[in-house]
Amino acid sequence: MKLDTSTDPQVGYRPPGTLDIASALARYDGPFTKRHAAHLLRRAAFGGTATEVDTSASFGMMGAVDALLHPARADLAFSDFPDVASLYDQKNRNAVAQMWWLDRMLRTQHPLAEKIAFLWHGHFATSIRKVPAPLMIAQIDMFRQLGLGNFRTLLLAVAQNPAMLVWLDNRANNKAHPNENFAREVMELFALGLGNYTEDDIKNAARAFTGWTLDATQNFVYRPNQHDDGPKSFLGTTGNLTGEDVIATIVKAPIHQRFICRKLLEFFVYSDPEPELIDALSQTYALSGYDVAHTVATIFRSNVFYSPRAYRAIPKSPVEFVVGLLRFMDVAEVPKDTPYWLARMGQDLLAPPSVKGWDGGPTWINTSTMLARFNYINRIVKAAPPRATAPPMSTTTAIALGTFPALTPDRIVARAGGIDADRVLATLVSDAVQDDTTSDVRKTLAAYLQSANATIPTPLSPENYQEKIRGALALTLQLPANQLN
Amino acid sequence: MTTRRAFISKSLGVAILGGTMPSFLATAAGAQALPALGSTIDPGNVLLVIQMGGGNDGLNTVVPYTDDAYHRVRPTIGIAENTILKINDRIGLNPALTGLDALYKDGRVAIVQGVGYPNPNRSHFEATQIWETASPDRPTATGWLGRYLDRTVAQTPVDVSDTARLFPAVSLGDTVPAALVSQHVDVPAIGALGTYGLNAGRDTASKQTAGVLYDGARPGQSPYLGMIERTARNAMHGGDVLKAKIASYVPAAEYPKDNFAQQLRLAAQIVGSRVGTRIIFVSIGSFDTHAGQRTQQDRLLGYLGNGLRAFYTDLAAHALAESVLAMTFSEFGRRVAQNASNGTDHGTAMPLFVVGGKVKGGVYGEHPSLTDLDRGDLRHATDFRSVYATVLQKWLGRDSTGVLAGSFDTVAFV
Repeated sequence: MKLDTSTDPQVGYRPPGTLDIASALARYDGPFTKRHAAHLLRRAAFGGTATEVDTSASFGMMGAVDALLHPARADLAFSDFPDVASLYDQKNRNAVAQMWWLDRMLRTQHPLAEKIAFLWHGHFATSIRKVPAPLMIAQIDMFRQLGLGNFRTLLLAVAQNPAMLVWLDNRANNKAHPNENFAREVMELFALGLGNYTEDDIKNAARAFTGWTLDATQNFVYRPNQHDDGPKSFLGTTGNLTGEDVIATIVKAPIHQRFICRKLLEFFVYSDPEPELIDALSQTYALSGYDVAHTVATIFRSNVFYSPRAYRAIPKSPVEFVVGLLRFMDVAEVPKDTPYWLARMGQDLLAPPSVKGWDGGPTWINTSTMLARFNYINRIVKAAPPRATAPPMSTTTAIALGTFPALTPDRIVARAGGIDADRVLATLVSDAVQDDTTSDVRKTLAAYLQSANATIPTPLSPENYQEKIRGALALTLQLPANQLN
Repeated sequence: MTTRRAFISKSLGVAILGGTMPSFLATAAGAQALPALGSTIDPGNVLLVIQMGGGNDGLNTVVPYTDDAYHRVRPTIGIAENTILKINDRIGLNPALTGLDALYKDGRVAIVQGVGYPNPNRSHFEATQIWETASPDRPTATGWLGRYLDRTVAQTPVDVSDTARLFPAVSLGDTVPAALVSQHVDVPAIGALGTYGLNAGRDTASKQTAGVLYDGARPGQSPYLGMIERTARNAMHGGDVLKAKIASYVPAAEYPKDNFAQQLRLAAQIVGSRVGTRIIFVSIGSFDTHAGQRTQQDRLLGYLGNGLRAFYTDLAAHALAESVLAMTFSEFGRRVAQNASNGTDHGTAMPLFVVGGKVKGGVYGEHPSLTDLDRGDLRHATDFRSVYATVLQKWLGRDSTGVLAGSFDTVAFV
């Protein structure tokens, strides 16, 4: 049967304007303001507090990128696994595993490694709906360890990763009954792209991966008696090829270099990047010996990355939106209902909809997902911790105090220099969306702060500033700019 | 052929509230757009898709009660012949399906037997994807209903007063199912009408402000900005528009209290308010009955049948029973033989129900053999894409070959 690919949606929208290819990947030497720093932190990390953005801006571009690539301090001590027993609880394991990763995204001091793990999770999309939770968690750890290293090493680790061996059935791939599932997807979705190999290449690659399976303790094992060691022909190479040979051949193919560089540009710069830009980055990638850190560092220091065309040019994924919001609000602990909200925003972390991962781009944006984002903002921003004088809550209703934002109205007033509507508004719009809005919107927000209305019947004042500032901050965070990376 | 009046009066057991239809509803129904000349397909036809999540056991839903093999492989969970709601001398319905049985006796239920596809997948996740994307051979991002929407709904910006564009299809749940994922059509997920909208708590001023916040906020050059602004504006107003539209629809049946029946109640309101919605997606589950199957499955089938009976009683009282076609699906049926826990494990083909005032009631396709098996599982008789093709072509009036990436025979149930 002829496969029909016409049903797949486009990936996303290229920004208007033209690319200056001659200077695109050259080092950016323009001004590095807090808008630039916030842009870098949104793309290469998960955003930050207003103070963290200020600090990053003070480093200058090279210093800010180096701080992400080579963090000065060791990361916090995170436990390897959440409570292991809970990972076998059918009902709660997805939420437990998601919370474990969200907590890491929120608190890590090495956010680039975490962002890369998130990139590879979407790329080598494996789902907890088929794969046991402990294997999923081990796979994310592997992305964290190897994600910035050599891509050939990463791809080999993926091919031998227990979660992947379950997900794409290579554990059942043996000489007598070859299973082509992994062999097909490693080419179509992970490393080459549709149309860049033949069905014979798939058959031969599948034979090369025979015997790569799991032992009784769910660890990778190579079983020579299940391996087909006959001659094979793959992408023009012939011999008694092994799985390692297939991986090495894939990575050497020029089409692979373009495939993976396109992926990095889509994730970090903008949708539907120009072929010239892909080719230019492919040269960097090949010359570096497939070094991911070197390739993404080139992006983070480049003119094209700081160009107006790349600025706020990609819709935030729900995970980026949520973790970015929690980091900006200086929340210490991920609220327990966050996986529920993420699902409503369209991104069940650790459970991508298929082996193709999430399509992202325009598919993140619809009325239901926008409402989920807005209501999550209200849920986080308007949550005020109980007053110290209040009677203690019962253990059943107690809410972890760490889930309340440390970015309080008092802190905003301190940054603004007083309870003054103009100053408060300027601080909110600068800190939350780096002034990326219009004078009309500022007027609307000012009217909210200053108008008497049914719920808060007086203008901004020392009596009502807590409620008014929380309300105005929630509205500011709903602005379109905050939906874009 | 049962007349509509007979259909109403014979739908047993559910009280019809009020003796006659309120006059404004009669007018609304009468004003319904006529089908285009030369076409028998009404452009007001609505498709209700019911997902039975978890994998419904077909053999205890439509029971081959005279087949000795059935009672042999199901010694404890098999259903006794004297409790079966008999369809013919070979098959009958699970005794919990009294509501559906009443609709069947009215000639409004088609039972399509042995529905499946080649090389069936037994993973919940993958099999659900296959059913919802109608793509067994390779992963596809869009759903079969999403591709229908892409081909029928204009790509121009949506005006917030145009409910047919705000709600061309709705998912009555917290998320949009894979079946409704499209390239450019926005499908709202409405878990409950009360929560579909901005929740600003007591801060009503914040909600009013949010309603006017999305005009002309344009940082940078992103092509996504306009899309986000329009979508946000539609999201802020859509819930209010829908609530206002459906406020005048008075349900004319007593719906059961369970969540599924309440979804159907909202579905009837949406249909009856004529907001222009063509597709409504609801779900009921979980049918994943590995242990203690009888209690769990019978309870869920009771919800299914009783909910549908209330739904069609309500619609009939509004002269809308002929405007809605409901179809069920589940990601797979279950194994033929019961397991050691009085349950059944993941299997293959199963029957689907198609219900509606214009459905030609009856049994379609042969019941799969219980002895000629494929590795212990039933062989499918009808490809699920044939059911989809039938619904697309003969109910929604759309050529199905593009949507289904292939040509499939139709079934005669409509």
